[in-house]
Amino acid sequence: MATRILIVDDEPLYIRLLQINLLTEGYEVITATNGEDALEAITTKSPDLVILDVMMPRLDGITTCERIRQFSNLPIIMLTAKGEEQDRVQGLNVGADDYIVKPFSATELLARVRAVLRRAQTTRESAQERYFEHGNLKIDFARAEVWRDGRPVYLSATEYRLLIHFAHHIGQVITAEQLLVAIWGEQYREDKEILWVSIARLRQKLEDNPHQPVHIVTRSGLGYQMPIFEKENA
Amino acid sequence: MTATIKMESVSDSVLDVLLAVSRVANQESEWRPALDKIVRHIRSLFIFDNLVIYLPEAESSALEVAYARVIGRGRSSSGDISWGEAVATQVFGLGEKFLQQPPAGASESDRLSQPYLLGLPLKLEKETIGAVVFIRFGGPEYNETNLRLASFFAEVVTHLIVRQRLKGSQEKLEAQQQQVRLQEDFISTISHELLTPLGFIKGYTTTLLRPDTSWDESNRREFLTIIDEETDRLQELIDNLLDSARLQSGSLRIEFQPVRLDAVLKDVVLRARAHHKGLHAVLDLGEVMPIQGDPRRLSQVFENLIGNAVKYAPGSPVIITLSTEEHRVHLTFRDHGPGIPPQYVPHLFERFFRNPEQPPGVRGSGLGLFICRQIIEAHHGEITAESALGEGTTFHIYLPFVQPQAI
Repeated sequence: MATRILIVDDEPLYIRLLQINLLTEGYEVITATNGEDALEAITTKSPDLVILDVMMPRLDGITTCERIRQFSNLPIIMLTAKGEEQDRVQGLNVGADDYIVKPFSATELLARVRAVLRRAQTTRESAQERYFEHGNLKIDFARAEVWRDGRPVYLSATEYRLLIHFAHHIGQVITAEQLLVAIWGEQYREDKEILWVSIARLRQKLEDNPHQPVHIVTRSGLGYQMPIFEKENA
Repeated sequence: MTATIKMESVSDSVLDVLLAVSRVANQESEWRPALDKIVRHIRSLFIFDNLVIYLPEAESSALEVAYARVIGRGRSSSGDISWGEAVATQVFGLGEKFLQQPPAGASESDRLSQPYLLGLPLKLEKETIGAVVFIRFGGPEYNETNLRLASFFAEVVTHLIVRQRLKGSQEKLEAQQQQVRLQEDFISTISHELLTPLGFIKGYTTTLLRPDTSWDESNRREFLTIIDEETDRLQELIDNLLDSARLQSGSLRIEFQPVRLDAVLKDVVLRARAHHKGLHAVLDLGEVMPIQGDPRRLSQVFENLIGNAVKYAPGSPVIITLSTEEHRVHLTFRDHGPGIPPQYVPHLFERFFRNPEQPPGVRGSGLGLFICRQIIEAHHGEITAESALGEGTTFHIYLPFVQPQAI
């Protein structure tokens, strides 16, 4: 099967430029003109590589990259403009594998694509899923949405990050300190009360009975855990 | 006196005053009017005749009177009574409270010659920002309760003054930041506008030059056409930037000569049709006498307006009219496009202004209409815009027949 590449750019002339060059190399090309469509295409058409423009209307490239990384380790190349060093650093920080600076030459583009694909082949683990289910709870990483019994749950940005941190470490017992550092940052390491309040609020929103939580449980003296449900209990 | 206060020992009237003072401090943003109210409240608990606030001057840091009120005795002879400058200077210098008794031997009968002064520093954290002086003529001396109320008052005043100062500097900073943001927006718009065509030229040229691929004729034509068009776009942007810089420095030359506007318009439309395929221009040109103008610069204005109509009102015809109105020429450029939100219309001719609600992907530098206005104004004319959402946009140009200096 041909390697499938998703091009995401709002400029039709860039899409055309990338497409025509990639096609000559035998890649299959699919396209999207904004981040939202790109996330849909990733889950429905499972490309092998994404070339993502940073400057885009509706969901910019950085946010799109961040969302992709919450459920997939698919290789991503960012397209950035010259002089926007900030974008490049940010792109790499949110998990892009490489970047190409506009203006670029066709041969540079193809060389980068080959290099990233080669690296990806040796390091790529099994792809994660876009959706995560835990009992009556469902997370859509691509849209950053949470559902409980089929109804949407509205979480604050911090609550969402806390929840997906548990989802990404399902089964592990995580200490309060680890959570505080991961979600709030180093300077909050000791600030246990802020974690207690957030966990309580999350349970209010997610649990059928917040006093007998099943999604985020307290492991006395250790920390918190999202337990793995046995198939028959789920 | 113990640290725990028995509830019944705190009088309700004192609490009422404290609450009233706190409320004024909370709600008034200007410290002087706030003080007028606070002084009235405080005085119901604590009698004094004069109140003066001293703040240091910005440069010399010498104390200046910033606020002074005569509340009690001494209203009639305010010129020669004590205002406590010496006490204020001492308090400000040391950062500590200071009490001064009346001079010995002062006439017992004249209260005004027996001032009791109480000076307190206005302190925020460790910094002394000024001093307040209470003056009481003829006693009694300030007691412990007076001193505590005065300290409370000084702290409230300090907060009010500092808050107003912070607000002032915040507004100043915001204005500066706005300036910087405009500048940055401009730089980012211009670099994006310059780099986009450059990126296409580089990309499609290197595509053509790929050593491992031979493109067929139709691909080659497609790429070369893109390169050609993007080169034009770059040229246009650079011209606009240069014109804009020349206009800014006043070095753009306007060469007046007799101009037949109908001929210029026909010529511009002919060229525009070649440039913008699908342009549907409707000309309604009346009989108009030649005017004095620079045909090259006027063409530039007309091209810009037609180009804008093609860009922002795609698919709409462009209706161009020319007529005589009183002692001047009236031109209109009308389209039936989506229109411009009314709040942006007054800003259209400003340098670097772009409609922020524009659909993405529509490129522009915010220079075109600015240049148009400069050129029309150099002709002693006028350019205006009117727009209705969903109906379209019309630009009006009025030009005099004769230039004033040529009369």
